[in-house]
Amino acid sequence: MSSQGGFGQSKEFLDLIKSIGEARSKAEEDRIVLREIDTLKARLSSPNITKFKLKEYLMRLIYVEMLGHDASFGYIHAVKMTHDESLLLKRTGYLAVTLFLNEDHDLIILIVNTIQKDLRSDNYLVVCAALNAVCRLINEETIPAVLPQVVELLGHQKEAVRKKAVMALHRFYQRAPGSVSHLISNFRKRLCDNDPGVMAATLCPLFDLITIDVNSFKDLVVSFVNILKQVAERRLPKSYDYHQMPAPFIQIKLLKILSLLGNGDKKSSEQMYTILGDIMRKCDSASNIGNAVLYECICCVCSIHPNPKLLESAADTISKFLKGDSHNLKYLGIDALGLLIRISPEIAEQHQLAVIDCLEDPDDTLKRKTFDLLYKMTKSSNVEVIVDRMIDYMISINDHHYKTEIASRCVELAEQFAPSNQWFIQTMNKVFEHAGDLVNTKVAHNLMRLIAEGFGEDDNTADSQLRSSAVESYLRIIGEPKLPSTFLQVICWVLGEYGTADGKYSASYITGKLCDAAEAHSTDDTVKAYAVTALMKIYSFEIAAGRKVDMLPECQSLVEELLASHSTDLQQRAYELQAIICLDAHAVENIMPMDANCEDIEIDKNLSFLDAYVQESLEKGAQPYIPEDERSGLSNISNFRSQDHESSIHALRFEAYELPKFPVPPKAPSILSSSVELVPVPEPSYVADVHQPATSALTVSNSGSSELKLRLDGVQKKWGRPAFSSTTPSTSSGDTFESNNGTTRHESISSTKSKVHDVSYDSRKLQPEISTEKQKLAASLFGGASKSDRKQSYTGQKVSKTNSHGADKSNLAKVASSSDNAAVIPTSQPPPDLLDLGEPSVTSSAPSVDPFKQLEGLLDPTQDTTKLSSGGVGVPNAPDIMSLYADMSLSGQSTTVANPPPNAIKTHLAKQPSKGPNVQEFLEKDALVRQVGVTPSGQNPNLFKDLLG
Amino acid sequence: MGIRFVLMVNKQGQTRLAQYYEYLTIEERRALEGEIVRKCLARNEQQCSFVEHRNYKIVYRRYASLFFLVGVDNEENELAILEFIHLLVETMDRHFGNVCELDIMFHLEKAHFMLEEMVMNGCIVETSKSNILSPIQLMEKAS
Repeated sequence: MSSQGGFGQSKEFLDLIKSIGEARSKAEEDRIVLREIDTLKARLSSPNITKFKLKEYLMRLIYVEMLGHDASFGYIHAVKMTHDESLLLKRTGYLAVTLFLNEDHDLIILIVNTIQKDLRSDNYLVVCAALNAVCRLINEETIPAVLPQVVELLGHQKEAVRKKAVMALHRFYQRAPGSVSHLISNFRKRLCDNDPGVMAATLCPLFDLITIDVNSFKDLVVSFVNILKQVAERRLPKSYDYHQMPAPFIQIKLLKILSLLGNGDKKSSEQMYTILGDIMRKCDSASNIGNAVLYECICCVCSIHPNPKLLESAADTISKFLKGDSHNLKYLGIDALGLLIRISPEIAEQHQLAVIDCLEDPDDTLKRKTFDLLYKMTKSSNVEVIVDRMIDYMISINDHHYKTEIASRCVELAEQFAPSNQWFIQTMNKVFEHAGDLVNTKVAHNLMRLIAEGFGEDDNTADSQLRSSAVESYLRIIGEPKLPSTFLQVICWVLGEYGTADGKYSASYITGKLCDAAEAHSTDDTVKAYAVTALMKIYSFEIAAGRKVDMLPECQSLVEELLASHSTDLQQRAYELQAIICLDAHAVENIMPMDANCEDIEIDKNLSFLDAYVQESLEKGAQPYIPEDERSGLSNISNFRSQDHESSIHALRFEAYELPKFPVPPKAPSILSSSVELVPVPEPSYVADVHQPATSALTVSNSGSSELKLRLDGVQKKWGRPAFSSTTPSTSSGDTFESNNGTTRHESISSTKSKVHDVSYDSRKLQPEISTEKQKLAASLFGGASKSDRKQSYTGQKVSKTNSHGADKSNLAKVASSSDNAAVIPTSQPPPDLLDLGEPSVTSSAPSVDPFKQLEGLLDPTQDTTKLSSGGVGVPNAPDIMSLYADMSLSGQSTTVANPPPNAIKTHLAKQPSKGPNVQEFLEKDALVRQVGVTPSGQNPNLFKDLLG
Repeated sequence: MGIRFVLMVNKQGQTRLAQYYEYLTIEERRALEGEIVRKCLARNEQQCSFVEHRNYKIVYRRYASLFFLVGVDNEENELAILEFIHLLVETMDRHFGNVCELDIMFHLEKAHFMLEEMVMNGCIVETSKSNILSPIQLMEKAS
């Protein structure tokens, strides 16, 4: 035993440590460290530093970095120290290097040589130090430099070296699996090492290997089972015991490995049953470590091929965990329950009250774990309560990481189990409102699609009701400040699509709202784009319906603003809007058909509908189109052009924009080549073109009649990229767009443009998906929902589409009337699952407890009786409180132990300098240790008596 | 990977030992340590010894004014890690004798050496106290 201040540490070092220890604030500590940095810089630059001094400086450097400051000025000294002869100095040097440098640091290369030398050392402690460094510093590139030596050391006579060599190989495997793939057999060999330490270390790489490829290691099941048996029978040296448990950490690692090997493998699993049963029986459930092993056994039992007996004792253990006072055990119990319900769902029922207690617990960790469990047992019958709970919790927390996770879980569950579309939309609204920026944009698109597709063809009234209610709720929400962008996009889209559909709201009201939204989020181009498109749809619907359109002044100013926007996309939309408003009803109806967003759209990539036009132009003497890649050998003039285009691929064009086109003599070659990047468009001037449609009665045809086109070529050509400038195909793809309205049509536009606006546009695509998944989901929901179905149905939120919606509703209604909540548990009869209602039989009037009513804090008169009747599980609250008291009084002691008076450390520190030399105090301390010993419990008040003063 | 870092931090949030098994910059470490200690300090004795933080699970145990914190990933057995902390403390206790915060501060390198013996590549490799301490004792004798 050593004491502070002895051992040749300098006064300076002691003072430094003392002052750091006494620092009362982070700021004070920072001041000390900054001063220390200056001192060290000065000291390290002086030429003659003794080795011993240098070691001390290194430790001080470690402090500097540990306390959050940069000590890179001293790294080189750490590297130098690794060369030292003295073992202590060498190891300190290695330690400092591993703490300072990451594996890709430039200085590493200076150490590789030293490491190689040290691996060859006669002193096994030097070899160990070098192997430690190998595990931290060797990266993929330097592996070959040390690999042969490390492999050789696997056979070293010292077990400590063999152990570390195994771990070095493990590290190589982690960094670059390929580098050691031919050495896997070495791990197998080391598993049979005489030394238990080497064997235990070998379990680490084997665990990793087995995780990746189970089948190659099935032959080892017998060995692992044997080892575990020997460990459990206390064949290992006593020094591995921990709190009377034989090598528990090795047992746990072995159990982890077995659970991998036995997963889905009956034959292997059968070999494990006996030993698992033995361990579970013998395990000391009074100690933490015993429970840790038990928990690992449960994990294993739940992972391997099920065995009724083992499952039973797992269930017993879980209920012990859950009934205990310790939150740690409850935490494990909840976790284990989540594993076990996968195999025996009925077990959840016994523990419902314990689960609810945990959910209500103020301890955040426990609460989250319980949400994990609920997430695992969600089904259509209980989804509403669970998701509502999750959302409430999500709103209450600030932690972004977890908020994101729980939001995506809500979405996932809602998509999978939604009992009605109405509910789904409401739920989504809540999620979006509170965590809209955290969820995947895909979710927004799913929501839009749901609203668009509704319940399906057979139930149009329900569809329109759904949409009306969505519109209504969005009109209410849209004015709120700080809505997430994704949510606003959904809102704009829905308002544009269905805002005026039911005639309840006037176009000017909706457009006003949309303009407000666009204005309020003027920095968000995507929202503005959605808003403008929505405006366009509303106006086109108005025009198509034969009503006169009066653009609101604010709308006009918005459009004007956007016409000059920096975003070409917004400009394009604004121009399109302007153009459409001037068209006549018939044309608009064709461009923007009502409620056609679900129709498929076909894109004619060959632009075959332009053939006739091209032919005509050619006949008039135009030059044929030359694909871009063949263009380089063109005449001088176009050479200049094409060079220019090449450079413009990745940059803006800097030459003047083309003027709006004037009727051009068809034979002028220079002009034609100026539009090489364009499919020749049917010219004349921009203005004339816009007005043209109004005067001519038009039919949309494949021939690519130019009349209908929005004449936006001028705009597009501004930022001309060769492939991009084709409004022509998208605006006049007459063969398909008749059946499509705004959104999807836009998609086709943006798909041609998406190279420019990749990010925002790809995500806007709403691809209609085939509904086999939905059908499966629906079947699984109504035919007794089972967990196994859930993973198939990510996008299948359209719960009731294929199945009769009416039936669903009446079912729900029945349930609701009988229990005023969807989740009912008949405790008097054995239901298939916790919180499951599934069958109408649930509505029986047997005494029932709805756990979620308790969640809501509602008092139910039947509650108490059922609690009692549900067997030993339902512990009423009163005893719980009692036990809580007991718990408090118990831990009271440890609290006082663990809470020294605030100035304890100070007084203690004040005592320190005399501590070392003070023999009497030292002896007292020693005597105390002998007398008390190190007791395992950690509650031992003497363990840290020193600190407590 | 298992164990991602081992920290010892006192009640004032001052770091007393830090060992990371994956690379984080100094700023990242500083921020992480601050956040974790704040989280753990806000918890009481009855609550779980486990806290989720970002993508880590923190298992912590408090001895007098010193917190031992171990960051692990999801596959780890939390209760076993909690006992691992105690094993570490017992080992230090055997070496220093009634170990306290100052023992660790004055002999930081030894605390690190013990940890080096116990954990490699984020895995627990040695749990026998005599195996952990013998190289350190030999080294002490030699110098």
